[in-house]
Amino acid sequence: MILHPAILALSIGSLMTCLMIVYAAFYGVRILRHWDLQSGSESQLMLEKKTHLVSTLMSYVFAYQLCSLFLFIFTADKITPLFVGAMCAAGTLNANGYGYPALLLKIINFILGGVWLIINYTDNRGIDYPLIKKKYQLLLLIAPLIVLEWIFQTGYFLKLSPDIITSCCGSTFGSDGSGLGSAFTVFPIMPMKVIFYATMALTGAFGLVFYLSRNPRAGFIFASMGIGTLMVSVASLISFISVYVYELPTHHCPFCILQREYGYVGYFLYLSLLGGAVGSAGVGTLISARRMQSIQEDLPRILRRLTTATLLCYLLFTGIATARMLLTDFRLEGY
Amino acid sequence: MIVLKHVTKTFNQGNSNEFTALKDLNVILAPNKVTVLTGPSGSGKTTALSIIGAMTKPTSGRVEIFGREITSLPERFLAQVRRTQFGFIFQHFNLIKGITALENVMIPAYPNGEPLGSLRERALSLLELFDLLPKAGSKIDWLSGGEVQRVTIARALINNPKIIIADEPTAHLDSKLSREFMDIMAKLKSEGRTIIIASHDPAVCESEAVDEAIRFRDGQILPSHACV
Repeated sequence: MILHPAILALSIGSLMTCLMIVYAAFYGVRILRHWDLQSGSESQLMLEKKTHLVSTLMSYVFAYQLCSLFLFIFTADKITPLFVGAMCAAGTLNANGYGYPALLLKIINFILGGVWLIINYTDNRGIDYPLIKKKYQLLLLIAPLIVLEWIFQTGYFLKLSPDIITSCCGSTFGSDGSGLGSAFTVFPIMPMKVIFYATMALTGAFGLVFYLSRNPRAGFIFASMGIGTLMVSVASLISFISVYVYELPTHHCPFCILQREYGYVGYFLYLSLLGGAVGSAGVGTLISARRMQSIQEDLPRILRRLTTATLLCYLLFTGIATARMLLTDFRLEGY
Repeated sequence: MIVLKHVTKTFNQGNSNEFTALKDLNVILAPNKVTVLTGPSGSGKTTALSIIGAMTKPTSGRVEIFGREITSLPERFLAQVRRTQFGFIFQHFNLIKGITALENVMIPAYPNGEPLGSLRERALSLLELFDLLPKAGSKIDWLSGGEVQRVTIARALINNPKIIIADEPTAHLDSKLSREFMDIMAKLKSEGRTIIIASHDPAVCESEAVDEAIRFRDGQILPSHACV
């Protein structure tokens, strides 16, 4: 099992990521403790050189992190035929107790890694490392999560055994199940649709207000709404969007939509959703740095781009979901 | 004003061939003056010039150029500082063979995004200033030693820098051309530019254009400011 090419790629990639982030965290601690731009000491100049190395390393680490989430889901989906009872990634992830925590950690690290890349990009625009403390504080928060993700991912792959009889997505995301996934499926669909479109509309409205007015308060609300939209969208995906994709009122699985028979639409949905979440979290983080003198010129441009990217991502998600609902003969009357 | 504060530069630090080229250098270079860094080979004058010109970072210490600290700047800002503040004249001139004198002069200004027409005009007027207009279309390979030297100076001036840095500029020139070079430096000083030259050529050090000579030995400044 462990010799599956995708599993080998994920395992080696995660191990390298882990080593690099531990190295970066070591210098992160030194930077947080000893950074003093006024000093011309040898150690300060060494830290200034090291921060460029760490930034470069972390850019690759987090770029890998963004890809590895989808590779992980793809792999979980690909090895489905090896397990009795599994129909998609939902079943293989359930094959042992490490699968879903590893996925959750990958999603969290995806968002945090994306935010780190945004902060790093902005920090590099300033001549005096304006966000260096913030950047390394976030790095020290992410580092243990990435190590934990590696532990869970390794544990998941090592404990996979073809003898395991796992459950299919129908039971994990069915109305008879007991988990959080099942809870979303019992929501009445019409109120859920209203909540979904209202949340999207509000996020869009606050995004536009912030884009046009540059009002920090509107920016903070937009950022908060952006994160909230991620939650609502995931709930909506399980509750009713998936049902339209499968054209089956009882099938709510958020993983089957990643398969070829559904045109891999899940990848587009999740990528747009996570892109929107990263963008809005980035807006929220950068607004708090709006008084930094050395990035005064670049920050408005970066915030505008992030806002635009977030709005486009959520618009794409809403567009795909709505198109799926409108362009099908399937109708959910009475649900 | 150019200020070096406690600048130390060590090469191959931590290795068996570790070498400290500059030791706790503290110096202030006045603006609109010609300053010569002199001393024997290996005394640290070229290293000092590289650090002032933002081409090398010190191991410790800070450098301020007209009030702006430059040693902490990330590389992308340093490139901008080098392009806008400094004009470089290298010992071996470092002109690109195979292309014309005009193209060589224009090259340092390409990253600025200036329209090609106006850049070409400026480059031609600089070549005219040094009596090189008839040679503008000539390849570098065809020019004499004196012409090459003047093309190098024209190239150093294309971005209208406040500071001219020259590393052993007369090392490959005869006495007449060396004197010509120093005359041009005197002219540039009169235009308000700051000139820093690393040289152990007495013809440079003893030139009337020079305002101050700083003597280096073993990575430190000697108290005497005499040329030799």
